[in-house]
Amino acid sequence: MDILLQLLMSGIALGMIYAVIAFGYQSTFATSGTLNFGQGEALMLGAMVGLSFSGDILGGPYLNYWLMVPLVLLFGALQGAVVEFVGVRPAIKTKSEFGWIMSTIALGIIFRNTAENLWGRDDLPFPSPLPTEPIHIFGANVLPMELMVVVGAVLMMVLVELFNRRSIYGKAVVATSSDRDAAGLMGINTGLVITFSYALSSMSAAFAGVLIAPITLTGASMGAVLGLKAFAVAIIGGLTSGLGVIVGGILLGVAETTTGFYISTGYKDVPGLVLLLLVLAIKPSGLFGKTTIKKV
Amino acid sequence: MLEVNHLKAAYGQVQVLHGIELKVPKGQVVTLIGSNGAGKTTTMRAISGMLKPTGGSILLGGKSIAGLPAHRIARIGLAHSPEGRRVFPTQTVRDNLLLGAFTRLTFGGRPRGDIRGDLDRALDLFPRLRERQFQLAGTLSGGEQQMLAMARALMLNPDVLLLDEPSMGLAPILVEEVFHIIERLKEQGMTMLLVEQFAAAALAVADYGYVLENGRIAVHGPAEQLRNDPKVRAAYLGIAH
Ligand SMILES: Nc1ncnc2c1ncn2[C@@H]1O[C@H](COP(=O)(O)OP(=O)(O)OP(=O)(O)O)[C@@H](O)[C@H]1O
Ligand SMILES: [Mg+2]
Repeated sequence: MDILLQLLMSGIALGMIYAVIAFGYQSTFATSGTLNFGQGEALMLGAMVGLSFSGDILGGPYLNYWLMVPLVLLFGALQGAVVEFVGVRPAIKTKSEFGWIMSTIALGIIFRNTAENLWGRDDLPFPSPLPTEPIHIFGANVLPMELMVVVGAVLMMVLVELFNRRSIYGKAVVATSSDRDAAGLMGINTGLVITFSYALSSMSAAFAGVLIAPITLTGASMGAVLGLKAFAVAIIGGLTSGLGVIVGGILLGVAETTTGFYISTGYKDVPGLVLLLLVLAIKPSGLFGKTTIKKV
Repeated sequence: MLEVNHLKAAYGQVQVLHGIELKVPKGQVVTLIGSNGAGKTTTMRAISGMLKPTGGSILLGGKSIAGLPAHRIARIGLAHSPEGRRVFPTQTVRDNLLLGAFTRLTFGGRPRGDIRGDLDRALDLFPRLRERQFQLAGTLSGGEQQMLAMARALMLNPDVLLLDEPSMGLAPILVEEVFHIIERLKEQGMTMLLVEQFAAAALAVADYGYVLENGRIAVHGPAEQLRNDPKVRAAYLGIAH
């Protein structure tokens, strides 16, 4: 029983990481109907840049974890803006239907290769800002960092939601998502809104990177699988539903930790993919979604 | 205030406007009439920047705006209530109105002025919207959405207002209300370009009219004169001579 609770907790923490990355997929899909397939690499870059500031590589640490996070967020935002500007904007301008798929994948590969050259191919430990002794909650052993993941993820989503609802700029983002032409008539620079959504998307991924890095290892290849699974979560939860990615993320996270423990770690990726296939077969718009990916 | 010369526009390879000339002097209401598919909506889109013109010039208050993106044109002072309402369905009525004032609420935009007062005046003009301020725009009836689209355009505090079929889909009593509102706006000195399916009513409120046929201006003149033109009467006002 205790072990099940523990697996649940770890699964939720992992699921919230998926949810944050999936949230990034949603943010660009909403404004532009495009996705950044380099989300996993944005996560990896966030973690590597964070490690460079706060890890004992490159002669550091230079900053403590909490001061490093805002810099990583800023870096993520800039990196996302670059992806939009270089890879997506030309495709949107020429109304190329699939150009952005290739260009965001290509940019992701370039980022990964660059990271391998800068930081090497080995996985490196990321110093934890919180005690690494598990704490006991209802008999389960939970890492403080796992709690921090959940709190950080929820906080980020709540802040973005507040921004969208309360500020005029957030309202402009929502308006651009529902009707780009009409938003333009309001005087909203919708091209800039799309750049912003890419910045937000990569920023979320970079944030997920520094949240998860202290629990796992950090390395140039850490993003690929996470990005792919978060994409599955975005499809499972629905590309248009914020609640959907949280539920989808937690479902996938818990399915993985429990399968890993009760069956075999070798099979831990299977339930998520089965779930994905089921959702695609039964409700292609996702558990909570309204738009199907076909409409891209 | 608004001056359009040789305006050309196309959808893909299909040329729709073949050189439109029109003028909307300050404080006047000008109407554009024509049968379905004549190019009225396209003319408005090309003016507001929703569609990039393929030729010609457009001056708004002396500034050349042809080819600028819609958001820049809005900032210069043109509001366009587009065909088919296009309200933001997932946002409240109030948020839709605030979005109409986006250029006044943000840096580098139009002078702020009295946004609260303007919101109040817009809601006075459309009392139904006041009752439904916090309702999502997508849950409004078609007629209410049409009013919201007009009110939202007014929130820009525009120098020129383009209204594309503001009475579309409205019950007769509401059509009358919309024309009353247009009259009130005219009394307040608003410069407007109006496209209406009810050509007779449009010519009654307008100072000047243009008749569009297949992407060209066929006839134009003071509204009074067009109302009495036998050809216009037969073709657009449904009155035999
Ligand atoms: N998005 C579009 N793509 C291709 N052709 C279009 C598009 N919109 C309009 N057209 C064509 O352009 C021409 C002019 O259309 P427009 O909508 O400007 O007419 P209109 O005068 O506003 O008509 P209505 O009274 O029906 O609103 C029509 O022949 C129409 O088929
Ligand atoms: Mg039309």
